[in-house]
Amino acid sequence: MTVGQIINVDGEVTMVELSEQSGEFAISNSALEQATGWSLKPEGLCREQVCVPVRNAAALSKDGQVDLGEFARLVQQNIVIDSQRKIVALGEQAQNRSASMSTLEAPDFTLPDIHGRQVSFSDYNRRKRLLLAWSSW
Amino acid sequence: MIAVALDADEAAVREWATKEPMSMPILIDKYHIVADLYGIVNVPAAVWVDENNKIVRPADSVPGSDMFRSFTNVDSEVHHNLLRKWVRTGERDLDDRQVREFQVLPNQNLQLARLHRRIAIALRDSGTDASGVTVHLARAEELAPLDWTIRRGNMPLAGVDPFGDEFFKFVGQWSQAGRPGFKLGTGRTDIK
Repeated sequence: MTVGQIINVDGEVTMVELSEQSGEFAISNSALEQATGWSLKPEGLCREQVCVPVRNAAALSKDGQVDLGEFARLVQQNIVIDSQRKIVALGEQAQNRSASMSTLEAPDFTLPDIHGRQVSFSDYNRRKRLLLAWSSW
Repeated sequence: MIAVALDADEAAVREWATKEPMSMPILIDKYHIVADLYGIVNVPAAVWVDENNKIVRPADSVPGSDMFRSFTNVDSEVHHNLLRKWVRTGERDLDDRQVREFQVLPNQNLQLARLHRRIAIALRDSGTDASGVTVHLARAEELAPLDWTIRRGNMPLAGVDPFGDEFFKFVGQWSQAGRPGFKLGTGRTDIK
């Protein structure tokens, strides 16, 4: 076991205990839930009301440890693993991102403001909103 | 109006954001989550969202002024006028079909570049592994060499002068490739 970081699709970073087997990372089911919101249940991999069936349970979970690469494949997310630096990033696949953009429904997000307060896009819903992206660079 | 800084340098954001008193929320998106969600490939960019939480105008370059007009070929007033009209009358310049047509959908290389960039930022923030920061920034640039949020956004992180040789090299590559990026071209004076 070693301590590592998972960067979830929404940018939340969680420190987790990773177990490593030949360059592959696995974590406990509770750590998976903490880092991603997904957890392994009898009906499959579940998050909120959604469950994804798990056909090959042995590939996903061994000795109570969930393989992160297999997890990402099942929930159709991209994964980048830096095994040397114990850091993993999960992200939306291009195809799924394109599909969600095409619905034209504005996705919510929560970010810190310049005073460190957490602000959600949905805090300002039911009115016209101009989302303005800028940067200092 | 909600301003999101696609920026990993929080001090720089605060410096800019406090130059003038502003009432709008100014959020810091160091992992470029909003760029990913809304298809933002350069800044400054704007997206319009209506009262029903629907995107009614996709991300497009919208300079606040004509300061860089000779480079961008964008008349900034065009967007300002469209925006005023929408706010006052509810009248949009695009229908849903056009919004979809002008969205910039990502490819897998861009999505993976975004993940490498996030790893670089997290490594930089934990302050333990400078070589890892360099490795992942470089990988992101290999994957998305023409995306401004990756290439230009990386420059201050990599300690590269954002107005130096590297920048002009990038602009040359980008121009050579036909200036890929946003498709809508609001206020562009060089295209029809």
